Amino acid sequence: MGADTILTLDNVVSGYGKMTILNGTTAAIRRAAITTVIGPNGAGKSTMFKTVFGLLGARTGRITFDGADTTRCTPRQMLDRGMCYVPQGRNIFPELSVRHNLELGGVAMPDQSRLGARIEAMMARFPILREKAAAQASTLSGGQQKLLEVARGLLLDPKLMLIDEPSIGLSPLMVQEVFAILKDLRDKGVTILLIEQNAKQALEMSDYGLVLEQGQARIEDAAGNVLSDPRIAQLFLGGGLAPAQQVA
Amino acid sequence: MADFLQLLISGLATGAIYALAAIGFTLLWQTSQTINFAQGEFVMLPAFFALVAMTWLGLPFAVAVVIAIVCSMLVLGLMFKVVVVQPLIKQGVLPLVISTIALSVLLKEGVKDVYSAEAQPFPTLFPDVTLSVAGVAVSLAQVGVLVVAFGTIVALQWFLGATRIGRQMQATAQNPTVARILGVPVERMILYTFLINAVLAAMASILISPIYLAKFSNGESLGLAAFVAAIVGGFNQVRGAIVGGLLIGVVDNLAAAYVSTSYRQAVPLILLVAIILFRPQGLLGRREERAV
Repeated sequence: MGADTILTLDNVVSGYGKMTILNGTTAAIRRAAITTVIGPNGAGKSTMFKTVFGLLGARTGRITFDGADTTRCTPRQMLDRGMCYVPQGRNIFPELSVRHNLELGGVAMPDQSRLGARIEAMMARFPILREKAAAQASTLSGGQQKLLEVARGLLLDPKLMLIDEPSIGLSPLMVQEVFAILKDLRDKGVTILLIEQNAKQALEMSDYGLVLEQGQARIEDAAGNVLSDPRIAQLFLGGGLAPAQQVA
Repeated sequence: MADFLQLLISGLATGAIYALAAIGFTLLWQTSQTINFAQGEFVMLPAFFALVAMTWLGLPFAVAVVIAIVCSMLVLGLMFKVVVVQPLIKQGVLPLVISTIALSVLLKEGVKDVYSAEAQPFPTLFPDVTLSVAGVAVSLAQVGVLVVAFGTIVALQWFLGATRIGRQMQATAQNPTVARILGVPVERMILYTFLINAVLAAMASILISPIYLAKFSNGESLGLAAFVAAIVGGFNQVRGAIVGGLLIGVVDNLAAAYVSTSYRQAVPLILLVAIILFRPQGLLGRREERAV
């Protein structure tokens, strides 16, 4: 693993109950880059995020983040170490105001006196959130809710953001906006690990691609190479890949 | 008209007490999917904590009230969560529901065997004076109940909305998974909810026992009133529980006077059926979205 690697998974196995989803996943995620995870439904993309973030325990294997072993860390410990997680779907608190939703992103902030300033910074960056600060979060449009979730995740100034299918249910214009925000974060040094159903569009703006199939990383390469890899079409049209062809 | 106003005020007073119990009911449901069928007994029991402190230990009423609240927090808050809810919630909602029904029987029979099967007089916090305001006879005790119950509700609403702990509790109720992802100590917030429910039950107990006398079987009607109030108002809304409680109290009182005393208990149930038929999410409730 090079110095430019921020997150590694080494033979990670995890799942729900008797079901095994991640089946010996091994991957290395590069720092300050956008990596898009693609793969068919049930490949283990979301499970990988939950396991990395500590919502789901890894049965075996090892996860490191920013040089430290975080295999047994809780979500709170992952936040403290500089990771944030924006799950799939709608994740706002509908009956709290936009400001209070944002503020909840700072629960884990060690220096609570900085919270006000961080909320201000986020509102300066996403003016729509300032405009709607006092409104119930449920009154926001789908895209605005996603912006709120991203802003809430950024409140702690994370090193790495896990973001699961941010484009779901958004208008094409809004998808562009969210992707532009992710690119801007990357340029500021934040590592983005992204799951996207729209693999082509996501890979086009990514630096790296990671292809998961049946709980294992099949391809790990520069996004352009993944995009042009003939095996991708085969994977998405059914008919699996040959096992473990890693290009490091 | 004067009669009607008197009935309205006494209805609001009992309704405010129902609301206290109903709020606790909805809070437990929201934060921990606990449907507490022992809620009525939770309102019955604290009066007996106070009675034990007064008659067995010879303590003054004011001290007994504090002891009743503290004991409720320990037994109906902490112990209820750790001993009953925590081990059973993993098995699903239904086993927990059945366990709370068992708990209600245990509390009821326990009080009957340990203290007394007779209704016990209970001291009132307020002087039993009746004032005449513009021809309407107003009982100071009822006004006192209204003021204390509303004060408690306002304080709770303030705590939930204006403090950061309160908002973390709301976040836990609205979306526990996301709350956990943001670092909210979800387990602690759930414990706070149980403690708050216990305090609300103790307040309701101390306010209602002077009116109904403290009796082991009080929980049956109180639990039903709280349950109906919570559903009528909207099971997932604190303000729904407030409206539901007041409505049940008033309807119950007016029905006793204008319909029939023997059918007074049926009227809230008829209201319940009507609400479930025409507005299943309750008066102020929000439809719950469920991911399949």
